Amino acid sequence: MKAPVKAPMKAPMKALVTGASGFIGGRLVERLVRHHGADVRVLVRNPASAARLARFPVTFHLGDVTRSEDLEKAVAGCDVLFHCAYGTTGSQKRRSWVNRVGTERTLEAAHRAGVGRVVYLSTLMVYGQTGDGDLDETAPRRRFGNAYSDSKLDAEKTAVQYSRSGRMPVTILQPTAVYGPYGGVWTIQQIEMLKTGRMILVNGGDGLANAVYVDDLVSAMLLAATQDAAVGEAFLISGPETVTWRELYGRFARMLGDDDRTVSMTPEEALAFYEKRRRETSRFHQEILRTFKQDQGFRDRLMGTRELLALREAASSLLPEGVQERIKGKMSGGGRPSPPAEKGPPIHPLTPQMVGFFAAKTRVRIDKARRLLGYEPAFSLERGMELTEQWARWANLLP
Amino acid sequence: MQKVRLAVLGCGAVAQINHLPAISASERAEAVVLVDSDPGRARAMAERFGVPETATDYREVLDRIDAAVVALPNSLHAPVAVDLLRRGISVLVEKPMALTAGECDEMIAAAEAGGATLAVGLDFRFFGATRWVKDFLAEGLLGELRGFDLRQGVIPRWPFATGYLLRKETAGGGVLADFGVHVLDLLLVWLGDWASVDYRDDAEGGIESDCDLLLRMRSGVKGVVEVSRTRNLRNTCIFEGEHATLEVGIWDPDPTIVLRWGDRDLSLSGHARAEGTPKRTFEDVFVDQIDDFAEAVREGRQPRVSGREGRRSIELIEACYAARQPLELPWSNPPELAAWEAR
Repeated sequence: MKAPVKAPMKAPMKALVTGASGFIGGRLVERLVRHHGADVRVLVRNPASAARLARFPVTFHLGDVTRSEDLEKAVAGCDVLFHCAYGTTGSQKRRSWVNRVGTERTLEAAHRAGVGRVVYLSTLMVYGQTGDGDLDETAPRRRFGNAYSDSKLDAEKTAVQYSRSGRMPVTILQPTAVYGPYGGVWTIQQIEMLKTGRMILVNGGDGLANAVYVDDLVSAMLLAATQDAAVGEAFLISGPETVTWRELYGRFARMLGDDDRTVSMTPEEALAFYEKRRRETSRFHQEILRTFKQDQGFRDRLMGTRELLALREAASSLLPEGVQERIKGKMSGGGRPSPPAEKGPPIHPLTPQMVGFFAAKTRVRIDKARRLLGYEPAFSLERGMELTEQWARWANLLP
Repeated sequence: MQKVRLAVLGCGAVAQINHLPAISASERAEAVVLVDSDPGRARAMAERFGVPETATDYREVLDRIDAAVVALPNSLHAPVAVDLLRRGISVLVEKPMALTAGECDEMIAAAEAGGATLAVGLDFRFFGATRWVKDFLAEGLLGELRGFDLRQGVIPRWPFATGYLLRKETAGGGVLADFGVHVLDLLLVWLGDWASVDYRDDAEGGIESDCDLLLRMRSGVKGVVEVSRTRNLRNTCIFEGEHATLEVGIWDPDPTIVLRWGDRDLSLSGHARAEGTPKRTFEDVFVDQIDDFAEAVREGRQPRVSGREGRRSIELIEACYAARQPLELPWSNPPELAAWEAR
């Protein structure tokens, strides 16, 4: 099943990929190796999360994008750097710090090493809450009001500064909701939420979903690394069509063999539900701990795994003793009555930002990427979801 | 009785999480020296577990030890074990025992030449259900065995100290050599020797993260085995018998065992231990393993998992890699991509 090799690059590129153990970076590595014969180096923090990458002849550098010395070693001799890493662990503060400082240090290391091009993976979220109608790259960047989006906005500003000052040729990509095999937020998380409860469709899901299949985004990244017209530019990257959120969630529900996994609310109702749920949050957490305490089977399955033993080991060396004692106390005794149960599967609340996000009828334009990059999305939502479903079934995520 | 004096070679995750706590708890063995190429790591572990000495080269400490736990990168298992065994130092080698059956043979021969004990750290043999399932099947309680279906997959969160497991040269293989060795060893214990195997995996110039086997046993029974380190799978083995179906957890020292009679709509589930006895943990398993090894060293007997026993799964893994076919993953290389790349 080998694809014809006709690389858009002139010579095999030497590329460093940060965030390579993640969803998008991991797929990028596959395609760089398989189709372009690229000499790929990856910077990964934890070997345990790098199993997918180890399938390929890539050079591993263990390290972190917030550590300049790790970056310096990994980037030496590279032509291109794809910066896909972002904060995925720890507190919101820590994640934001990784987004801001990690991007700055990555760009600085690339500059010092004389890298020819950096492709920086930004996000649609840098436009903040978008309104109805067309959206293109001339729109103002605005804070969205959550840690991820706002720190990604700061990181993008840093990338623009590096580019404008001539220190580093940077191309910025702003993907919409990226889905596909191994996808986190817009794939596994949505499937898990639909499996464990009901999704709120704001205004019946009338808002517009701008989504892109991971392979289309990776194609855009490969173009961004090689097209000279891309230097110093930012590009919105989305799929070939815009669908409603109702259609998108309908497609996920179909994977699960059931169409009734959503509940429609007006924005006001969704906000009120969020507020109500927020007040109950501490009790909600108690409920999770109660399940843990009361369901012997669940606890046994969890406690019997080597991974949990490893986690407990890690926790005992990292957490202050007081915190450990509090956790132990919660896991072994006490507990308060749970909040009254909703009728039917639980409804997952939406944050106020997400209510606005789902209500908007924004149509993301990809004309600039078409014009300057030669980007043309090849995967319709139907086709992308078909491949995603095949993977999800194999990954044991579907019933 | 004096404790068996051990060196622990390699202070990575398995030494830290499993071996050193077990040795500390053992009444039959003690760690007298920790060896690691990173002296800081060895010293930190020595302080934590109260071990008096550290070293960066195991050859410096041979006069102070009776035996060694070899928890080094896979590619070093055979050369280091052979060197120790020839000098009469007994060895408990972590799984996989070696990269090839040929290396296993050298280790077995070295143990005989040196008059030393060789044990293999296939700790799943010490799980509560392992022997129970073997006896249950051997007694023919399911009737004629029609097939088996084993699915094992976890997304690992193991705190690796180094990246050796990501490289073919040091790991020898991917998930089959790492996780697969445990489940194949169990199948060989439960069902006897294998006859032939079809094997597929997803490696493309590196090491596999997912693989599938179609395995035929000498008894004639056949079944499928799927092993993954990118997916959370069922983590059980199902045996389909003439009268009933047996499902046993395989990634758990005290697994749930379920017996189902399809035609009678009846199922029973439980654990392979006496009622009222505590749940078996990985700590118990590793203490039993080190105690069994120490006793074998003292008494000059074979350990529960000898070199010959350890060799069986390595030979099967080697046969899998030799018969390797690509795993079909339709989303991995869809026609749209080939068209895009060829544009």
